Amino acid sequence: MTAFYSKEDRSKMAVGLFSLLLVAVMMRLFYLQVISHAAYTQVAEENYIRVVPLEAPRGLLYDRNGKLLVSNRPSYSIYFIPYQIKNPEEAFKDLSLKLNLSLATPSQLLRGQSKSKYQPIRLLRDVDFKTICVLEENSLDLPGIIYQVERARRYPPRGRGSHLLGYVAEISEAELTRFSHLGYRSGDLMGKKGVERQYDYLLRGQPGVSYLKVTAQGRILGPAGSREPVPPKPGADIRLTIDWELQSMAESLIAFYGSGAAVAVDPESGEILALVSQPNFDPNLFTGVLLDTVWQRLASDSLHPLLNRCLQGTYPPASTFKILTAAAGLESGRVTTRTLFRTCRGGLAFGNRVFKCWRPQGHGQLTLMDAIAQSCDVYFYQLGEEIGLDLWSDYARRSFFGRLTGIDLPSELSGIIPSRAYFDEEYGEGKWTRTLIVNLAIGQGEVLVTPLQMAVFFAAIANGGEVLEPHLIRQTKYPDGRLVRARGELLGPLPFSPNTLGIMKAALVKAVNGARGTGRAAILPSVTVAGKTGTAQNPHGEDHAWFCCFAPAQDPQIAIAIVVENAGHGGAVAAPIAREMMATYFGGQSPLPGPEEALMSEGEDLWWGE
Amino acid sequence: MVGRIDPYLFLPALLLSLIGIVLIFSALQDSSGHEASSYLRQLVWLAIGLLVFVAVSAIAPRIYENLSSLFYLVALLLLILLFFGGASRLGATRWFSIGPLSLQPSEFAKVAVILLLARYLANRERPQFRVRWAAFSFLMVLLPALLILKQPDLGSSLVVVAVVPGMLFWGGMPITHIALLLSPVVSLLAAFHWLSWAIFMLVLIVTLFVVRPTLRFALWVLATNLAAGIFTPLVWQRLHDYQKMRILTFLNPARDPQGAGYQIIQSKIAIGSGGLFGKGFLEGTQSKLAYLPARHTDFIFSVLGEEFGLLGCLVVLILFSVIILRGVQVARKARNHFLSLTAFGATTILAFQVLVNVGVTTGLAPVTGLPLPFMSYGGSSMLLSWSLIGLLCLVSYTWQEY
Repeated sequence: MTAFYSKEDRSKMAVGLFSLLLVAVMMRLFYLQVISHAAYTQVAEENYIRVVPLEAPRGLLYDRNGKLLVSNRPSYSIYFIPYQIKNPEEAFKDLSLKLNLSLATPSQLLRGQSKSKYQPIRLLRDVDFKTICVLEENSLDLPGIIYQVERARRYPPRGRGSHLLGYVAEISEAELTRFSHLGYRSGDLMGKKGVERQYDYLLRGQPGVSYLKVTAQGRILGPAGSREPVPPKPGADIRLTIDWELQSMAESLIAFYGSGAAVAVDPESGEILALVSQPNFDPNLFTGVLLDTVWQRLASDSLHPLLNRCLQGTYPPASTFKILTAAAGLESGRVTTRTLFRTCRGGLAFGNRVFKCWRPQGHGQLTLMDAIAQSCDVYFYQLGEEIGLDLWSDYARRSFFGRLTGIDLPSELSGIIPSRAYFDEEYGEGKWTRTLIVNLAIGQGEVLVTPLQMAVFFAAIANGGEVLEPHLIRQTKYPDGRLVRARGELLGPLPFSPNTLGIMKAALVKAVNGARGTGRAAILPSVTVAGKTGTAQNPHGEDHAWFCCFAPAQDPQIAIAIVVENAGHGGAVAAPIAREMMATYFGGQSPLPGPEEALMSEGEDLWWGE
Repeated sequence: MVGRIDPYLFLPALLLSLIGIVLIFSALQDSSGHEASSYLRQLVWLAIGLLVFVAVSAIAPRIYENLSSLFYLVALLLLILLFFGGASRLGATRWFSIGPLSLQPSEFAKVAVILLLARYLANRERPQFRVRWAAFSFLMVLLPALLILKQPDLGSSLVVVAVVPGMLFWGGMPITHIALLLSPVVSLLAAFHWLSWAIFMLVLIVTLFVVRPTLRFALWVLATNLAAGIFTPLVWQRLHDYQKMRILTFLNPARDPQGAGYQIIQSKIAIGSGGLFGKGFLEGTQSKLAYLPARHTDFIFSVLGEEFGLLGCLVVLILFSVIILRGVQVARKARNHFLSLTAFGATTILAFQVLVNVGVTTGLAPVTGLPLPFMSYGGSSMLLSWSLIGLLCLVSYTWQEY
């Protein structure tokens, strides 16, 4: 049935076929230019408009006297533009060879990036100038790799205040999913520890954005006229309660002994004057390329430099807790200042076990005041037995031990105040002896406190019984000039009458100034110091040295708690540190010999000051 | 002279050429407002094109018929000489440089092939079209097509091959036979999966029973289809990975958005963002900021779509349609077989290049590298386009001659 078509028919068929194809092309054009027009318009804009995020200048941190502690400095960041890199795996390998840096894999970087492939993605933050020079030299071999000047944090040198200041780093993926409702975006900087973390919402400000017109070759032609840039809103500046002079000198002193913590509080306001944890770490390490080796060293250090011992270190309070045991005895009426117990002959037997006093030759028979001043263990064993576990732990809890102080820093620990319920849980009901209270009464055994709790407690004794919430922020200065003063909250009163508090104070004064006081190393010539030493037994090594105090006794302006790990007696190690701190705080020079080596390097700090 | 010019062919062609020059001006103006001189060169090419047009349409039809074999041989010679004296650009040897001008022999070969096929088919009798004639026709274009493919210039090589079924159709070959003739190409593609190939073979056999061609032709069709079906998978397995990749990206550019797919993606963005009325002359960001590759040559239509929108595109497509419909009409009216076939061949080339070029820029067809007649920058394309218009005008003027 081979049909022959006339010329007419064939021309009609040809025209028909052509028309069919022409209509197909026109429909395609209609689809592209009318139906998908909006989508393609957007892609075309993404093509030539480079969205440049403008990071907001992060708020600055000052100490209570207006000394600049944490500022921003210019730094270089390396970016890459995905579409200009044909083979990312190879390009990154090449780059990391040329710059001698290890890089994340491209897939890691591209994950979570919803941006167009024309937008630069940050590869490295805060690289050094040498790296930028190498990059410039090789710029022809490294298409799609660019750098930009940004801000990076500048922290005090030698890790001073690292635990309280914290540091910032790029937000992690886990944090991004957790905090995305707070407006964080991929690549943002975020406070990771300390004040930087706690007050990130004040410090970070709000990023802006600018729009640049860019050619396919990456040449920037200037601002894209079609979109208005949004300037960034800077973060708020914060004036901390910290006295930097006090902080620095306390850090040097603790560092001299190795590890430990010191907390100084203003008893009237709850303001933290110094918050020292040693060993510390250098927050400047986290601003840019954090080498794996550096992180490994920090994380695996047996001294745990990342731990903030002030609020995360829990220690037995040792003899510093005798003041609480004594107050509990007085307040409950179980003893008076005249009550006498059995004579201290260097130890005392309870049941079939002998509990030793720290002084092998014994203290003789002491009154309450002298027992505190001389820190007689035998007296307090008997006082503890007299009070009993329930009453003792009740007073300790009502003195705000065993719970969080509520300081404005993340990750605080509450410590442990053992109670009947606690022991039942630990050992099983009825499977523990009542003599456990004997040990608790001298602050040993299972009782654990943080140096911060001790400082808050001593501040409360000093101010007449008010337990104040400790805090680090004194004033916030918003970018519009508004100043907001922060105030500490009253957590509650100590469970002690003014009479009891008076006796406690007197006993603490005697413990430092009395002829046989254990804290004589803390005596200052012009100021009366009230304090209590402690020597915490440590099953893993040398004893921890404690000293807690406040001064001046009549009108307290500072309360201090110090613990020095594995350093020996509180009276010999911790008390002199407290004395130096108070001397600094009150502006007096102390002639007593101290760890001079640690103090000598102080002058260097001035270069980054105001 | 003026009376010999067919306005339905000449005016649209002139308009398209001028629009092309305007678009080249816009496409090559850089972001700071400086324009390349290319649009002036294109203006010169248009002037030369018009001279060629006049010359081509002034020669007596008889001469074309008598010299068609000579043209063909000259074209072959030039294509071969290209491998010895040709100028290379971007890895392809397609040009002869003559002073400031450079010419592509492949464009001349297109005209030569039309004339040779027209002469060959004009001498065959109708209505009993012999399949042998079709085989000869394909043999005639095989050599130039291979030589052009070797340059490499896939687009022009396709044009030379595509003109054959068009002229066979016009020469009287039943459309069903043309379909059977082309069936091995479908087999080639269908053979990537045994099921699709089996179905196609079934359809083919049924078609053979219905159409009832000669036994020899039927056997030939079956044999070529079997060969295509059996050898495609074997050859495919032997190919290197990069060769497979190249073929797959050719068929589906979206596989490689950074490389081959980049042009198509950018072209679609340019056209799509143009919308109904376009962004305006000199306002196209895709072309101005150089996101669109080959924007003054193969992708000039994308510049049109971006700056003048759907409206501009339709105007240009309608102008092309006027030429093509008029071309078919001229071919129909021509009493002389040779001239009629020549006119249809010229129309086929124009239609094929327009549809493939616009298809490529809109993402309907794989990137083949074909210029848009009259509008793409380049002298050879301009001269070819105007020679074809010249041939069509000649036929239009002499339609009464036998």
